[in-house]
Amino acid sequence: MIDFELTTADEKILNSAHEQAIIGRRYARYYDKHEDELTPAEFPEAANLPNPTRLAEEGVSGSSGSRILHSLVMLETYWGGLALHRSKWGLGNTVLKTVATPEQFEKWKNHTIAIAITEPGAGSDPANIRTTATFDRETGEWVINGEKIFISQAQSADAAMVLSRFIAPDGSRGMTTFLVEKGTPGFTVGPQLKKLGIRSHDTCNLLFENCRIPEFNHIKGDFKSTMSVFNDSRPMVGAMALGVARAALDFTREKFAERGIEISYRGGLRSRSAVVDRFIRLEAIYEAALLTVLRSKWLEQQDVPPKVEASIAKAAGGKAARKITQGCVELLGPEALSEDHPLDRCFRDGRIFDIYEGAGEIQRLIIARSILGYTGRDLR
Amino acid sequence: MISFELTDEQKLAQSMVRDMALTALRPAARDADDREAIPSSILDEIWSTGIVQSQADADQGARSATLNAILLEELAVADASFAIAAAAPIGFLSAIATQGSPAQKKNLLPLFAGDKYRCAAVAIMEPDFGFDVSTIRTTATKTRDGYRLSGIKGLVPLAGQCSHFLVVAQCDGASEAFIVDRDIRGVTVGEKKPNVGLRALAMATVSFKDVDLKPAARLGEGAGCDVQRIVDSARTALSAIMIGTSRAVMEFVMPYTKERVVHGDALAKKQTIAFRLADMRIETDAMRWMTWKAASILEQGGDATRQAQLAYTYAGEQAMWIADEGVQMLGGHGYLRDNPVEMWYRDTRTVSVLEGAIGV
Repeated sequence: MIDFELTTADEKILNSAHEQAIIGRRYARYYDKHEDELTPAEFPEAANLPNPTRLAEEGVSGSSGSRILHSLVMLETYWGGLALHRSKWGLGNTVLKTVATPEQFEKWKNHTIAIAITEPGAGSDPANIRTTATFDRETGEWVINGEKIFISQAQSADAAMVLSRFIAPDGSRGMTTFLVEKGTPGFTVGPQLKKLGIRSHDTCNLLFENCRIPEFNHIKGDFKSTMSVFNDSRPMVGAMALGVARAALDFTREKFAERGIEISYRGGLRSRSAVVDRFIRLEAIYEAALLTVLRSKWLEQQDVPPKVEASIAKAAGGKAARKITQGCVELLGPEALSEDHPLDRCFRDGRIFDIYEGAGEIQRLIIARSILGYTGRDLR
Repeated sequence: MISFELTDEQKLAQSMVRDMALTALRPAARDADDREAIPSSILDEIWSTGIVQSQADADQGARSATLNAILLEELAVADASFAIAAAAPIGFLSAIATQGSPAQKKNLLPLFAGDKYRCAAVAIMEPDFGFDVSTIRTTATKTRDGYRLSGIKGLVPLAGQCSHFLVVAQCDGASEAFIVDRDIRGVTVGEKKPNVGLRALAMATVSFKDVDLKPAARLGEGAGCDVQRIVDSARTALSAIMIGTSRAVMEFVMPYTKERVVHGDALAKKQTIAFRLADMRIETDAMRWMTWKAASILEQGGDATRQAQLAYTYAGEQAMWIADEGVQMLGGHGYLRDNPVEMWYRDTRTVSVLEGAIGV
């Protein structure tokens, strides 16, 4: 039956996530100002608190489902701007889980594995990557050369799952994945990138110079299986975007209330000020995007892998964060620009979600190809 | 528990109405727009779905605002006027069923349980540029024997065929709704006033000049009613209809842009067109979930004011954008009355500025 009410079990987890987000917010400005410092694996305040992400993933009886709940916990975390528990799971772990042999999985299952795809000349078009691995017959090792950029969890991860071209001993070529552990000679992690926002987000470039790894580290994910990790993550990015967007909306509503501006949903367009009307329209954008995220997550729970719905959620969330954070700053005026308040950070942080993990344009390509029945060759 | 699951009954009703909308209703839409009237055969087709009568069912479990929203979307894919022909009596009946006194339910609901199309509508809008649902000018003053109603209501759908109006008026400083039989003294149903869109609905002005009403005419009688709930229901229904018109546009322009060749390639293979089509899909999805959410809150008896406002405001903006892009993608052909997109463009502007009149 169609229903949009959270259950008591959902609310319990989400309240806990929200309380932790309030604590996270206290640190958000510090890490915004100190982008070279990694956040701790666990903040001291979190020591005795449950990890709501883990609870959601494990499944809570009486909840709306683990996928839905996980996305809503993520939204709360991004509302605060900083997670009290650093994630130990990287998208490289997803590749390991889906394509590795049991022996490989066993060896690295407790590692945090970053995913390394993007290169200076290949962002939205990952098929264009140039990183290459050649096989050294004498030593039985693969030798990787190339540069990967914008890599999340680069510093905190234990290893990177690197998408690379390969030239096999028999001369065959293609794309595949290699797991490269930290400390491997020839593998260098660059400094933290200087970003507009999400400055607490660990992001560096990776360099591979004659980096030699054993055959056992060849995970054998192909291009398609590697890119498919984004199917799960897309609606999650939508949820993250909406966390930042809701922080901006909540702050704006709070400041409006202090100034005696009431948001009434009762009357029509001609009953309200332009400022209130703008606010209502921003809220509507939030609601629209949130429901597309929930829809995509709900489909996952029905064991119907979402296709366009995952892209819809990502595109809607990414756009919502842009429009809402920009709009809230404008609605509150010059004082909203100050670093005394969280809004300037929301405005900067909120700009990433329509760019990373498949820009809005890439989501629209995926959606358009699907609804028009076009292949990647038909519509580029 | 968050769920997008349609029940088996809802799925069945949805697919039945979807089929009928495309086979029986869509082919009649242009002609109805030209003639500014809906043929009785079409009204009977709509009636045959049972969507209106189920509002009058004594078993209140049969009423589902969510199902109404689902079906209004499907009807509106065929034509927005046809969808409103159903949504107008639904709005009237759902107000009676949810807020009427036992006597009002007993007297009115059975009138709409028959097997012939019958209309009634909520009359909220007034012919005034400053009109807003929060500033109603029609008044109901208390008299010794009841109320005296005075005012003018505009844009009443199928006014000529309505047996009753649910008139929203100011009464003692608050908004109240009054059930008015069209045949009583002082009620004048005007000539149809052609509008830019929804022409088949033959919307008209209805004036109420010193209409004397019994106390039993006040919706909810002594207890009165919550007019906001009627507005919320209307906004949800209007949103549902805008999903339908948006889908009509989207489903029409997709094959067109795939066939139309420009500079050596299909129009749809150009990113500027393909991306806008993708956005149409994103927005129709979002509109639908927002509408379902408002409808499900209404169905559960909760306060849907915020959700209905958000759904209605968002749908109004997005549906107009989609209809506008639909005309643009067809170019000169989109501007011709040979194609339906110009009609959907007019209808969308019309639906998205309406308030009241209908419901889920």
